[in-house]
Amino acid sequence: MKTRNLSILLALVFVIAGVAYANEVPGPPAIGSTIEDFTLPDANGLDRSLKSLAGPNGTVLLFVSVQCPVSNAYNERMEKLAQDYKAKGIAVVGINSNVAENADAVRGHAAENKLSFPILKDSGNKIADKLGASVTPEAYFLDAKNKLLYHGRIDNSRNAAQVESSDLRNALDAALGGKPIEKAEAKAFGCSIKRG
Amino acid sequence: MRRFKASVLILLCVLLTSLAAPAQKKKNGAAKPATPRIVVEPIDTDALKNLLTQQRQQPLLVNFWATFCDPCRDEFPDLVKIDKEYRPQSLEFVTVSLDDMADIKTSVPEFLHSMKATMPAYLLNASDPEPAINVVDPAWRGDLPATYLYNEKGEIVYKHIGRVKPEELRNAIEKLVKKGE
Repeated sequence: MKTRNLSILLALVFVIAGVAYANEVPGPPAIGSTIEDFTLPDANGLDRSLKSLAGPNGTVLLFVSVQCPVSNAYNERMEKLAQDYKAKGIAVVGINSNVAENADAVRGHAAENKLSFPILKDSGNKIADKLGASVTPEAYFLDAKNKLLYHGRIDNSRNAAQVESSDLRNALDAALGGKPIEKAEAKAFGCSIKRG
Repeated sequence: MRRFKASVLILLCVLLTSLAAPAQKKKNGAAKPATPRIVVEPIDTDALKNLLTQQRQQPLLVNFWATFCDPCRDEFPDLVKIDKEYRPQSLEFVTVSLDDMADIKTSVPEFLHSMKATMPAYLLNASDPEPAINVVDPAWRGDLPATYLYNEKGEIVYKHIGRVKPEELRNAIEKLVKKGE
């Protein structure tokens, strides 16, 4: 009886340990899967749903940071992306899931860096977990029906002068042109999201 | 007489101060031996592949990190301890920074120096980190820190993404290093 109890206990320990490890950075949804609508407060504290922010031709979700130098190296490129594709019916929405960066910091950072797209505050990193986002910056492109078409980096280099592969833009252009996306996943590189 | 006494006193003070200064300097110098300056070498994707996959005489531990990565910085004291502990037992340990090349002579060696890290240090020299990430491990998403342990055949025998768990890493190293050497 004692041996049986010990076995059950050991099995439980392994299961819990496995789950704990797996929970460190959850895996992202598969390309082609549908992302459920969600609601998060923006930097001004107003609740915004994905549905209310989505563009008629799709939405880019960008996990961003206030402090991360890699994310900050992309500020201008992210803003330009938002401006360029707004006219094409694709909305850009930022999400900040870092536990140490509050809504005030997000608002101040957006103003300082002239980021005009909405940035949502993901307290408790629920959406980061749901989407398996692990770093900043990290991009998800959803079509008009919230189907995930692209996941990963914005482009190949944090240094704007060394960009050779604009993977996110390529995906957006392909989708807008009704063509298949050649590279639907590209590893995002940046600062780890500080989860709470 | 009073003027003579004062002059002698001043002279003594000057003499004592001049004797004490070099002694203090010597004492400070002896108490804090300088950590050798770290030279961080650039490494491209091909060289990284060679480093990781070649057959070698001893196991290899590789830590991928960056100065902008908080958990990387937090775990570094543990890594320095592990290096000091297992280097005499034939563990080869190198670090590969994924910082910008512009940091190769500044923030990267400065941080390593502050940590008293003496293992060979590289910085990935690639405008696109994705091929290098795939060379290391196609299953690795590029999150930092990432720590990989290779056996003598160049096979991955242990990996950990995120802040290292020192005891877990020690256990993995213990299985590879030659005891008593």
